[in-house]
Amino acid sequence: MRPRHLAGIALAVPTAFGLAALLLTEAVVTSAPEGPAGYYLRNSIADSGAINVVTTVLLDYRAFDTLGEASVILASVAAISALLAGSKPERTEQGLSPLVQTSIGYLAAVFWIFPVYIVFHGHLSPGGGFQGGVSLAVLVILVYVVFGSTRASQHLTPSLLHGAESASALGFLLLGTVGIAQGFAFLANAAAGFPTGEPGRLVSGGVIPLLNLAIGIKVAAGLGSIYLDILSADDTP
Amino acid sequence: MTPEIPFYMVLGLVIACALGAVLLRGYITSIIVLSIFSITVTVAFAFLQAVDVAMAEAVIGAGLMTAIFVTAISKTRRRS
Repeated sequence: MRPRHLAGIALAVPTAFGLAALLLTEAVVTSAPEGPAGYYLRNSIADSGAINVVTTVLLDYRAFDTLGEASVILASVAAISALLAGSKPERTEQGLSPLVQTSIGYLAAVFWIFPVYIVFHGHLSPGGGFQGGVSLAVLVILVYVVFGSTRASQHLTPSLLHGAESASALGFLLLGTVGIAQGFAFLANAAAGFPTGEPGRLVSGGVIPLLNLAIGIKVAAGLGSIYLDILSADDTP
Repeated sequence: MTPEIPFYMVLGLVIACALGAVLLRGYITSIIVLSIFSITVTVAFAFLQAVDVAMAEAVIGAGLMTAIFVTAISKTRRRS
């Protein structure tokens, strides 16, 4: 091991342990939170009808910030597509062995249940559109790795993914403009007339489940198409 | 929530995996150790009751980044 590495370890290990100790001592909440955090914890269920406070903050109080996060993914997908534009999709991949293909062919019918559950229960349990969408993108990657890009690209075409991403981004914006049309803020939830329902039920939380669905489709299609762009990149410069 | 001994063991594992990802030879080895690092960070987040972040870390770090890194390195390693 070279001396350069030893010096790096000698710096990194105490720094990491010190940071961990500092975070642990600071992370323990000893009293009821004040300010915005206290307001959110006390009023989020009454304001939106969703029992998951994190989702309420992400998609009701701070929904405009979430729109910014989704725009970051859209921008990165556009940049990667622009960088790798012009490369022909690789048509020689044959995928894994028939044994793996058959078993994954049955199991993939079960695998999509978890992401869809995470997306649709985003206002009830931990998780939401982003986590479920990334799981769905991993499922797209799994299909491409196991079955090979020749067979997979006949069904999960890149244009289908791009279209799904654009449509869900447009859906997010249209759901936001309902608030403006009702005379309230952009992305307003209960104030814009969305029924909050009974807290704890699957149909509750006003616009939050719809926004979760839009973000889930958008993240899944965006990250899946990033992988497809990298997969079809020309590797003979 | 008071910190406990298993949590400190997970933190030590996180640091060990981070060092291994930097110091080990070979791209594929580093990528696999990096995905193990993501799993250990997920366990640490779950200890801290941040289940949302743990879920995102598991899916992105262990699933998506591994696939993207392996594909990118297999496309760039050998040049004719």
